[in-house]
Amino acid sequence: MHIPDGFLSTGVCLATGAASGASVVWMARRAQAETEENRAPLLGVMGAFVFAAQMINFPVGVGTTGHLMGGALLAITLGPASAIVVMTAILVVQALVFQDGGVLALGANVFNMAVAGVLAGYLPYRLLARAGGRGVAVFTGAALSVVTSALLAIGELQLSGVKMPPAILGVSLALFAVSGLLEGAITLGVVRALGALHPGWIRNPPGVSRRRALAAVAFSALLLAAGAAWISSSEPDGLEKLAERTSIASRARALVPALLGDYETSLISTPWLSKAAAGVAGLALVFGLAVWIGRMQTRKKGA
Amino acid sequence: MHHVVLERWSRQASPLHRRDSRAKIVCLVVFLVAVATTPNRCSPYILGYALLPLCAVLVGRLPLVGVLARAGIVLPFCAALGLVSLLTGDVERAAALAEKSYVSAMAVLSVVGTTPMPRLMSGLESMGVPRFLLWVIQFLHRYLFVVSEQAQHMRLAAESRGLAGGLRVRKWQARAATGALAVLFARSYGRAEGTYRAMLSRSFTGRLQLLVPHTFDWKDGLVLVLGVLVPVGLRQLMVLDIWRSL
Repeated sequence: MHIPDGFLSTGVCLATGAASGASVVWMARRAQAETEENRAPLLGVMGAFVFAAQMINFPVGVGTTGHLMGGALLAITLGPASAIVVMTAILVVQALVFQDGGVLALGANVFNMAVAGVLAGYLPYRLLARAGGRGVAVFTGAALSVVTSALLAIGELQLSGVKMPPAILGVSLALFAVSGLLEGAITLGVVRALGALHPGWIRNPPGVSRRRALAAVAFSALLLAAGAAWISSSEPDGLEKLAERTSIASRARALVPALLGDYETSLISTPWLSKAAAGVAGLALVFGLAVWIGRMQTRKKGA
Repeated sequence: MHHVVLERWSRQASPLHRRDSRAKIVCLVVFLVAVATTPNRCSPYILGYALLPLCAVLVGRLPLVGVLARAGIVLPFCAALGLVSLLTGDVERAAALAEKSYVSAMAVLSVVGTTPMPRLMSGLESMGVPRFLLWVIQFLHRYLFVVSEQAQHMRLAAESRGLAGGLRVRKWQARAATGALAVLFARSYGRAEGTYRAMLSRSFTGRLQLLVPHTFDWKDGLVLVLGVLVPVGLRQLMVLDIWRSL
């Protein structure tokens, strides 16, 4: 997932560099202000811990092993601002000392793994931990952190012109999904063991009102839907190709006069904007359906 | 370990080791930008950029084979993405990506191998990088070896108790591994607190000091001018395709 130098286009390097530079400066100030004491030694040693933790292999089965990546674990124990600083420090040391990831690509790598990865790992914990689903929140956060970082890396490479055939893209996505599940399981295990050792190390997230939690989830989903629609607008995905080849698509079109045909709304002329709008409309439809099913379930339970 | 070797290289004495870290950082960034923005059609010449890091290795008295081998760490990733480019029929891009990554890694090694970490961090601080982040990087670098050694001891102990990746995963194996990580976390946390208290007792003021302050003389200026002009000139020659017209 560490992108080396030479792979990213100038535009992607500049955009991700500006985004991660601003975020890291802001988060470094926040992390420093969070406590009265100077936390630099603590954060540095915890960074060394994540490095070292990557040496402890976990048996995954079929003779293979995996290891912790650590973004979500750091966010849950140190808080998101400190975790972003520690992950950035890890990535800088990896780029300078271990040649793992490039120096110019550092902006992109920091954005993917330190900023987006840590925030994606912390968001479910912040939203769900108080609602009684701490285990689910830890697992989901850790898995989401790995998958988000990987998807961003793939997206940046695609934007820079490194085209991947659909088959390879599919295999990579499957591998990232497996790593995400593994990260979730390891992080959950470590958080439980840490809770037994010293409960004070696991941060209790501040309470979030149900309305704000819902708004955050809705906003993230909207961003994902619009972003995915934009990426998919460049070329048809594997499923679409398969559908064309097996002529399922033409039969389906004949059978179902789709409301959001080929994910486009005819009212908007810009292709990617219309796809994004259609994606959002589809999302609203699915959301409405989910709310309706949820209400039916609670009514059944109440009855 | 890799970072210990690099640390040893950076503590040697040579004309390049004595140069101001800020000049070396600017030269590195200009070099990396020149390499990254070279069009892929120049792939037959991109390895020509290696001339500059090779000169740095020579002047900095670094082991040539060591630098060449360590820069090869980037090659597996390049091979994977290069293969993807080959599959899509873009041979030129595949070759250019591998060459650019390898040459960039050589340049990073030649700068990090001739500049001790505290000087590199201090140079970055005077160039506007947040001090807090640089402290964290420095502490991370200092304690990497200590915590990694502890992790290796724990791994050895766990393996001697029968924790190995077999065909079937047993629940106790996974629980033992997560428990080991939690213990490592606890020990690292305790170590960090102890370190901070020891620093306070040695009257730590909240600022890391350099034993020898930065000085920028005419030799640093010369390195800066050459380090900026040579890669930019090389890029221009490659873009104009001057060799083909000769």
